Amino acid sequence: MDANIYLPNLARVIFVKEEVPGERAIKTFHVEFIDSAGFAHECGQCAMLSVFGRGESMISIASSPLVDGYKQFSIMRAGRVTSAFHDLEVGDVIGIRGPYGNSFPIDAWRGKNLVFIGGGCGLAPIWPVIQTAVKKRDEFKQITVFYGGRSSRDIMYRTELDKLRETAEVHLSVDKQEEGWQEFCGFVPANLMNKEPSPENAIAITCGPPVMIKFVIQNLRSLGFQDNQIYTTLENKMKCALGKCGRCNVGKDYVCTKGPVYSWADLKELPPEY
Amino acid sequence: MEKILNKIQLSDWIAALDGWESFAPILQDGIWSYQPIKRGVNSVQLEYPNTTQPPKNFTFPQREVFFTFEQIKGEAPRLTQILPTDKPRVIFGVRPCDGQALPRMDRLFNEQFADIYYQKRRENLAYVGLACNTPPSRNCFCKAVGGSPFATNGLDILMTDLGDRYLVTAVTAIGDRLIDHGVQLFSEPTGRDRAEAGQLRIAALKQPQRAIQESATVPKRLKEQFASPLWEELARPCIGCGICTYLCPTCHCFDINDEVATPAPLRGSRIRTWDTCQFPDFTMHSSGHNPRTEVGARLRQRINHKLQYFYENFGMFQCTGCGRCISGCPVGIDIIAVVNQVTATPEN
Amino acid sequence: MIKLQDIKNRARELLANGEVRAVIGYRNGSRGMAAEPAVIADPNDAANIVWNPSCVHNLALYLVDDRKRLTRKQETPTKPIAIMAKGCDARAIVVLLQENYFKREDVYILGVSCETTGMLDEHKLEQLKIRPDQFTAVEFDGDDFVLIKDAETQQRFPAREIMADRCLECRNPFPKLNNAVFGEEKARNLAAPFSALMQFEQNATQNTRWDFWQHQFERCIRCSACRSVCPMCYCEECIVDSITYSVMPDTTAEEKANRIRWIERSATRANNIGYHLTRALHLAGRCIDCGECERVCPVRIPLRLLNTKLERDARERFGYEPGASVEVASFVSSFRDNDPGNFIR
Repeated sequence: MDANIYLPNLARVIFVKEEVPGERAIKTFHVEFIDSAGFAHECGQCAMLSVFGRGESMISIASSPLVDGYKQFSIMRAGRVTSAFHDLEVGDVIGIRGPYGNSFPIDAWRGKNLVFIGGGCGLAPIWPVIQTAVKKRDEFKQITVFYGGRSSRDIMYRTELDKLRETAEVHLSVDKQEEGWQEFCGFVPANLMNKEPSPENAIAITCGPPVMIKFVIQNLRSLGFQDNQIYTTLENKMKCALGKCGRCNVGKDYVCTKGPVYSWADLKELPPEY
Repeated sequence: MEKILNKIQLSDWIAALDGWESFAPILQDGIWSYQPIKRGVNSVQLEYPNTTQPPKNFTFPQREVFFTFEQIKGEAPRLTQILPTDKPRVIFGVRPCDGQALPRMDRLFNEQFADIYYQKRRENLAYVGLACNTPPSRNCFCKAVGGSPFATNGLDILMTDLGDRYLVTAVTAIGDRLIDHGVQLFSEPTGRDRAEAGQLRIAALKQPQRAIQESATVPKRLKEQFASPLWEELARPCIGCGICTYLCPTCHCFDINDEVATPAPLRGSRIRTWDTCQFPDFTMHSSGHNPRTEVGARLRQRINHKLQYFYENFGMFQCTGCGRCISGCPVGIDIIAVVNQVTATPEN
Repeated sequence: MIKLQDIKNRARELLANGEVRAVIGYRNGSRGMAAEPAVIADPNDAANIVWNPSCVHNLALYLVDDRKRLTRKQETPTKPIAIMAKGCDARAIVVLLQENYFKREDVYILGVSCETTGMLDEHKLEQLKIRPDQFTAVEFDGDDFVLIKDAETQQRFPAREIMADRCLECRNPFPKLNNAVFGEEKARNLAAPFSALMQFEQNATQNTRWDFWQHQFERCIRCSACRSVCPMCYCEECIVDSITYSVMPDTTAEEKANRIRWIERSATRANNIGYHLTRALHLAGRCIDCGECERVCPVRIPLRLLNTKLERDARERFGYEPGASVEVASFVSSFRDNDPGNFIR
């Protein structure tokens, strides 16, 4: 039978954790495939998750490709479909299709220093790269992670980030002054300038709100990072994930197929419509 | 193969096409549209300009049900895919600009991920084209975008109107089969027939059409003018409807939604519908962030996609020059005028 | 007869002396004889203004567009915007003023009277085997004729043969609300009001009417042009587009999640019936019969029949005439003690 690219497979929710409470809640889900062998993925790729009756959302796969048995997704409650995700419980079955998009060229980064800069829910799309680098620790040099949220409550993967300090430098921040907060206070791009990571033999990978990415890239360049040393992953409204419905079209690219991972060298060639 | 068919026998040929559902342009409710031809009931004639809507619906309908879902809370949902089961269809009177749409749609729908809904409809579809001895519309510009009034791309047969008869030229094996079905109705073309067709073709190519200035360099010049303030100025009258997109033979943007019939137990369908980059909220994120808030950016997107981005990806213009967007636009926004003005170099 | 030069002069003057920030008017289009809407900011461009039987567009739509644009850019203009308004367009402006969409001093109305000849209907030309896109110009010719020209020839038509139905039925071709007016107030008695509607009702029984409408609604491709072209359909969040909506920075996920999809986007007969009938009901007492919705429909659904039916009901049952006067309250937001109530059971 010919494959139907629009027909999802099914996956069961086996784990739910509230990362961030409140209005801009983030929940982490682990799902396991139930009606198929599932698919392998590479760092940076995404999947279309369905809550039938509500719709589909394109979500980055947050687990490393080296993890077997489940896929991890961290989803912020933003609208109609993502609210439905937040109502899911362990045992619920959702639709899943993928993997979609291109991936971070992690093989080409062996032997390099990796600098990760994330904000808000933007830590999730770059998390698989961090996890893969940690699992294959000897293949990479220095790992540095900059990550911040509006307040300490908005910081996701708290436990994992603390554990990460064993093998990487982790610099957290909150946007505004907060009682009991010991680390940097200010926006993530400012924290970056505060610590001044070296561009020497380094790759910078950033993801977060559009305005954060803009200033992070600016700051990285001022620190001496070249355009091909800077990587990001784009967020667009997406519906098909297959390069056909036109919604994520930016310049000649459909971001769902040619992206969402872009080096700044490539991204600056596209019209600024994202 | 190439044959001659007398015009008065066109309906007989259609009647002989067993196993095919035939469509032809009919003037109904004030517009020309492709309607099913009931054998022996309708008599078909092809003296017509062009249909209001292109034959896009045959491969890419306004509403396509992907699958149905049924879910009882706590259990896994049951998905049942709904694939098209059309009988083979043959469309008569397709103009070359509409035929040209198929190679474009084929590339898009098969690129990287093959779309089974498009494929199933496409493999059951045949086009019997009609060459344009004269341009059907003052807004025709097929030549400016690499087409021609006698082009055969996407067609299975091209018919040339020789007054009281057609020169029927098969382009594909399916075209041969269609002719075979009515073989007794056809006769061999004479030298005179062929000469007449040749002359009509030469005359057709000389007919004035609207022109895009220096169309060969349009992709490059559009890229250079991305930031031009003319986009916003020329798009100012745009009302943000979907006419240009929905009447376009190659526009393919779509939306996917779940339509719920009953909430508990949950029953519904996942449905694809036409959509357009001209709707103000097409690119809007859940957060409210919209990369294209202004009408100039949206007009630029549609035109760039047709004449620059698609060209960069596939080496051909996505626009086939049918002119429907120009004739159909309620406020007269004219793709040719816009492109010529935005990309005007001082010498033009 | 209107002297076009008078309109051009006035427009240029208003722009040159800084009294208005732009003039919404008509200029020649690029695709044949039809005029197109234009927003003119440069006094020199006032020379491009045209006035002819193809000036069909209801420019009040661009007042709504202008207001939305200003809101998006968070600008507060210090000067009004000028607009060429026919009788119907001026009535649309009255409705927008009744509904407080903008203030009277925000708009400078250059009223243009259609006098005895209204706007032409391109579809009627087609029925006479005239292809509108083959011609390059159209003009008023005296009181009762229209001249259609191309490079070599010209044809003269009695205006009433090619006039739009809504112009034939029009009782108010003179823009009563104005800051300046061009042309005289002349009566027009070419067809009874609601003629097209009465003709339709005569030719159909109740059952065949429903068959007719089901057939029409099946043909709708949901391009939304009818809604997009209507000045009164200005809602940012329309009942039809429950899947998209205006999103403010403080709109919560829950609000987005809980919006009901009253009518789906797919073009089924049921959804299309919902769309068209809801839209017609939301225009009851507000539609001033500019006829644009019917003109722009690519598949020629006779939408005026829906709107004029409700307009007739408003007139006959409630004595209400949309767009007659700014002083009168809007139809659905007011009542009189003697309003008919026999339908309330």
